[in-house]
Amino acid sequence: MELKTVQFGTIDVTDDRIVTMPAGMPGFPDQKHFIVLELPRTRPFLWYQSVDDPGLAFSIIRPWLFVQDYSVDTSAVINEMGWDKSEESSLEVYVIVNAAGKSAEEITANLMGPLLINPTRRQAAQFIIHNGSYSHEHPVFRRN
Amino acid sequence: MLVLTRKVDEKVRIGDNIVVTVVQLEKGSVKLGFEAPHHVAVHRNEVYEKIRNENVRSAGGAPDDIEDAARIWQQRKDGE
Repeated sequence: MELKTVQFGTIDVTDDRIVTMPAGMPGFPDQKHFIVLELPRTRPFLWYQSVDDPGLAFSIIRPWLFVQDYSVDTSAVINEMGWDKSEESSLEVYVIVNAAGKSAEEITANLMGPLLINPTRRQAAQFIIHNGSYSHEHPVFRRN
Repeated sequence: MLVLTRKVDEKVRIGDNIVVTVVQLEKGSVKLGFEAPHHVAVHRNEVYEKIRNENVRSAGGAPDDIEDAARIWQQRKDGE
């Protein structure tokens, strides 16, 4: 299908890549459908584009690219979402990047609220890590 | 706001399928247990608000900013 976006123009996407967020996303309860977009020019940063709102897109990144020992209790997510245990190993984990009002060197990532995508069910959830081990504003780049 | 008095082990039911139990009382704090369907997220309010505010702020980033960041990423990787 053709997907209209404000930031990336009209793009051709395969429907089976669209994920549903049953619980929505804090702050965006009405946005239920998203798709992960790869833009060569922003690699390794990817985009979590809303299918419902052409103007809404989040920059995302795989956390292990800059926090090698990052860990999410995926079994808790599986349980919370009512997903099947067998799907745990296929979950994709991303963190949302905040670049608004910051210089490129100062961008941060929200390690406290990772985004988990279950490709088998085509569902996604933003999981909140309550144990206090991660910041919601973790610098992506180490200070020089 | 509805205010109810409950003792330890007593419950409050919200709608058909959400149950809140008073688990423990201790020096000015209360431990609550929640039973809710999977699609109902239960969070400490201050943590939820932190995540919500960060989501709203993050939605304001433009591809150009991230393109700059991607360039820095590449430079640092090349420099390693």
